[in-house]
Amino acid sequence: MNGQTIPPIDTSDNNSKNHDLTSKSDENMKENGNGSTRLWLENMFKKYYFKSNSNIETDSFFSEREFGFKLFDGKIRRHLTFRDHKELFANIMRYVPSDIYCSSARYQNPTANMEDKGWKGSDLIFDIDGKDLNLACAKVHNLTHCKQCNGFTNGILSKCSICESSLVEMIDLPCKKCISALKVEVNKLVTILLDDFGIKKDTLYIYFSGNNGFHIKVVDDVFFNSSSQKRRAYIQYLQGKDFIIDNLGFKINKINNEVTILPNKTLFNSGWRARILHELGLKTRNHKLDERSFNKIIHFNNTHETTLYHYISEKISNFAVRIDPSVTMDVHRIFRLSGTINSKSGLIKTVCNNIQTFDPFVDACVVGDSITKVNSKVSLKLSLNNRRFEIKVGINRVPEFVAVYLVLKHLGDYIDA
Amino acid sequence: MIRFGNKDFARYPFLKEALAYVTRNDFRLEDLDNPDYRHLIRKAEKKIQNFVFDGKIEYFIDYEKTHDTIVQEEVIVFLISLLIIRSISIEPVTKKYALNESMRFEKYLIADLNNVNQNDKTVRDILYKIFNELFGTEILLERNIYNFFKIRIDDYLDHTIAYQEREWNLINRTLDKGFVYLDGTEIVRLFRNELNLLIIDRIKKMNPERIPSTIASISNSFKLQWEKLYPSIRITNMHSITPPCIDHIYELIKKGENLPHPARVLLATFLIYTNKSFDEMLNLFKRLPDYNEQITRYQLEHLAGKRGLSKRYFVPSCEKVKLNNLCFETKICQGITNPSQLVNRKKYETL
Repeated sequence: MNGQTIPPIDTSDNNSKNHDLTSKSDENMKENGNGSTRLWLENMFKKYYFKSNSNIETDSFFSEREFGFKLFDGKIRRHLTFRDHKELFANIMRYVPSDIYCSSARYQNPTANMEDKGWKGSDLIFDIDGKDLNLACAKVHNLTHCKQCNGFTNGILSKCSICESSLVEMIDLPCKKCISALKVEVNKLVTILLDDFGIKKDTLYIYFSGNNGFHIKVVDDVFFNSSSQKRRAYIQYLQGKDFIIDNLGFKINKINNEVTILPNKTLFNSGWRARILHELGLKTRNHKLDERSFNKIIHFNNTHETTLYHYISEKISNFAVRIDPSVTMDVHRIFRLSGTINSKSGLIKTVCNNIQTFDPFVDACVVGDSITKVNSKVSLKLSLNNRRFEIKVGINRVPEFVAVYLVLKHLGDYIDA
Repeated sequence: MIRFGNKDFARYPFLKEALAYVTRNDFRLEDLDNPDYRHLIRKAEKKIQNFVFDGKIEYFIDYEKTHDTIVQEEVIVFLISLLIIRSISIEPVTKKYALNESMRFEKYLIADLNNVNQNDKTVRDILYKIFNELFGTEILLERNIYNFFKIRIDDYLDHTIAYQEREWNLINRTLDKGFVYLDGTEIVRLFRNELNLLIIDRIKKMNPERIPSTIASISNSFKLQWEKLYPSIRITNMHSITPPCIDHIYELIKKGENLPHPARVLLATFLIYTNKSFDEMLNLFKRLPDYNEQITRYQLEHLAGKRGLSKRYFVPSCEKVKLNNLCFETKICQGITNPSQLVNRKKYETL
């Protein structure tokens, strides 16, 4: 997850409406407001929201949603509501949050405590996160930052290679390969949702999360009312967990690897069964495996080094979608609002109308381009907004969108001109 | 109103259309002392004996009579049975009867769903209406492919079996365009619980102004028979602690609840571990509504390693018990990883 989980941090604030934000956040801002970097970032965010207010996605159930603001002082405010887009915009301009969230659920009373909100239902949301894909490239280009010695090391480490401290954090710097791998997962998910779950294309929305992942949202009355338990069943299906091989129409004895066709069992040839049988090159006649298919299975079993059981398990694993289960199951979660900035990268959470051609490093990079000075702590190559940048340790003069990216990734500090 | 081949109502006496056959003739439960009903009371009595005491789902509908008579008689036998069970008023008896009665209807439904001619649209539509009107679920026929029925994913997941048993998990069902595909047997199996609850509900709704003496006398006799057969459960070992998960299973058995498969395995392996004899174990399992001595004996012998590969099954770990929602942990469970560990822990150790 790219920071979408925001537990309520101040229960005394549970019943606060948006105007209650004032005193506490202002106080905290004064307490922690100590750097030109933060002021500059706030300015950048404000500039973006002023110019791109219309990019912020809102729906007709606006007043039934719970909103959440994360402020630059780190405080989080949940249980907020706004009457309309105008009021939301006014509050964004006033408080300049580092992150803006909105619930997937609709409530009778969004400002109340969780138990008293009156849950009406929740859009079905899936989260595909780069971190969950364990990509080989990520192990090379991501960085490990030590909070103890402030050193940076290439790769993902559990201890700092300089001072051996375990106080380390991973800084993910997704590359094009990461995005391609994420898109593969998105396509797998969309295929199953359309083909198996019968979800209509026009009710399905794909978003770039603004950092290193994608969110898929389904706005459909049937799924809107699904309980967490039902959502867990969807996840199990999408992840291919606990699939029983007998469902293919044959049995494999795990001890002696013997294959037996299940007699008199007619299974509808669709979903997981159809996918796996297709991978095995097996055809069905009137939904049943015939003699020829059976011989093919036996032949496979006798001629391949890997056992049929493992081969099928591997196929299931390939088709399985790598989603974060906790996100889909949580019907009270608040998600980054589309069209707002992700404070982990400075990129925008963006709706992808065409996932194949979507390039987050171009399409989600819309912060200004005035030249800004950044003191970089690392050397790295960056490609943003169709331009390539070679960042060196020390002072770099770069466009604002590069500067914001480096600062929010904790790789550099803003230098006040 | 469903247009039904009227003798078919004999198989589904719980339908309001079937009930209409007797209400239009001014049938009243209070009149059952009338000798005209004696043969029907005897039929109901025999059915209860089979279902509740002998564990046999044996029942015969005589289709040789006229259509109206068949339906009227079957509806009356059904009502008499419910009244006797209501009058016995022992929860495990109610549950056992309801389970076996619903299984009888299951058999009819499966046969009708699977055997009805593909072109016999009327009867198929009637069967869908049974599901639709009684259980509020739309069952659709995949008209292009023989023998498949489909149900919306959301409706499918309203049934607890979809979560309880692995082969019924959504992942192990065929999904296509928002529907779960099932054959006739599976469709009926899916509604087993609903059918069972329907019978229980009908029993509870049996509140005649007075119970006819013939019925009261039969009920009393069944009551005595039950109490003689099933004295209260006493499975405590003074020297050890019964794990709370096992206690919970005993409670379910006492109430006449049917146990899910993992609960049966947990109980059986636990009893085997505590060296209970097969007779002692059977005595306990026979209280289950769907008890079948032959199957239970076979399964117990299998778990005890006296059959097949001679592998003796050990009591499932606490983790597995938790996964199956059978854990009812209390402070005495602290530090254990398997319910069997409590067996040798003497009571005073935790007091």
